[in-house]
Amino acid sequence: MMSGMDDDEVFKALADPTRRHLLDRLFARDRRTLTELESELEMSRFGVMKHLRVLERAGLVVTRRSGREKLHYLNPVPIRLIHDRWIDKYTERQVSALADLKAELEENAS
Amino acid sequence: MSTTTPTHLATQVYQIFIKATPEQLWDAITKPEFTARYFHGARITVTPDHYESLGPDDAVWGDAGVEVFDPPRKLVHGWRSMYDPTLNEESESRVTWEIEPDEDGVCKLTVTHDRLEGAPRTAEAVRGEGWMGVLSALKTLLETGKPLNG
Repeated sequence: MMSGMDDDEVFKALADPTRRHLLDRLFARDRRTLTELESELEMSRFGVMKHLRVLERAGLVVTRRSGREKLHYLNPVPIRLIHDRWIDKYTERQVSALADLKAELEENAS
Repeated sequence: MSTTTPTHLATQVYQIFIKATPEQLWDAITKPEFTARYFHGARITVTPDHYESLGPDDAVWGDAGVEVFDPPRKLVHGWRSMYDPTLNEESESRVTWEIEPDEDGVCKLTVTHDRLEGAPRTAEAVRGEGWMGVLSALKTLLETGKPLNG
């Protein structure tokens, strides 16, 4: 079952060029049906469905019904959380080192 | 800038998993003492028939009707970005909060911002970083008890 709390699922989902391509397509314009998404990929309907399921399990794609259609939306929140957890943390030190350097240089200049 | 919103931006869906009870989430969404800590400082009060958002300086940031008030599961209210004069001129849109218990004390929170057809600037302004920032700050607050940047 999905826990949705799992960074592993997000990293796994992102570790595939087709799925990244699907995310890029949805980033450009989401709220799309499977048929629309499939038409842009050289892949069987079944293959696209399989990739969409992985993206959905990772929380990167959310589906909503609209009448008879199932629409796919990009949910960028898990990527943001990965960014907060993994990117910010490792870039913060450089930024604060630069801020310290700036403070020191300006102090010496005055 | 066009006056109608591209279709794909007229309905926006954001989803996040938060380790909290549905009741805690409900309070965090509807009570000003919580919203002030993650929603850009806005003090938001939601009652069965009214949604009100006040800025730190008591300026009115939001004032709208409530369509669904079903604690602790579903809240639907109107949205008008009154904190910005240009956005405030646009027609009212709608925000739906859905809280679903998942497993291990985790809830799935889905925010759908729709009816943005007549509010293209608002649609751009809340897109991506707007709702994402709010939701990730809400998660941090509920899971650690601390505001994101404080």
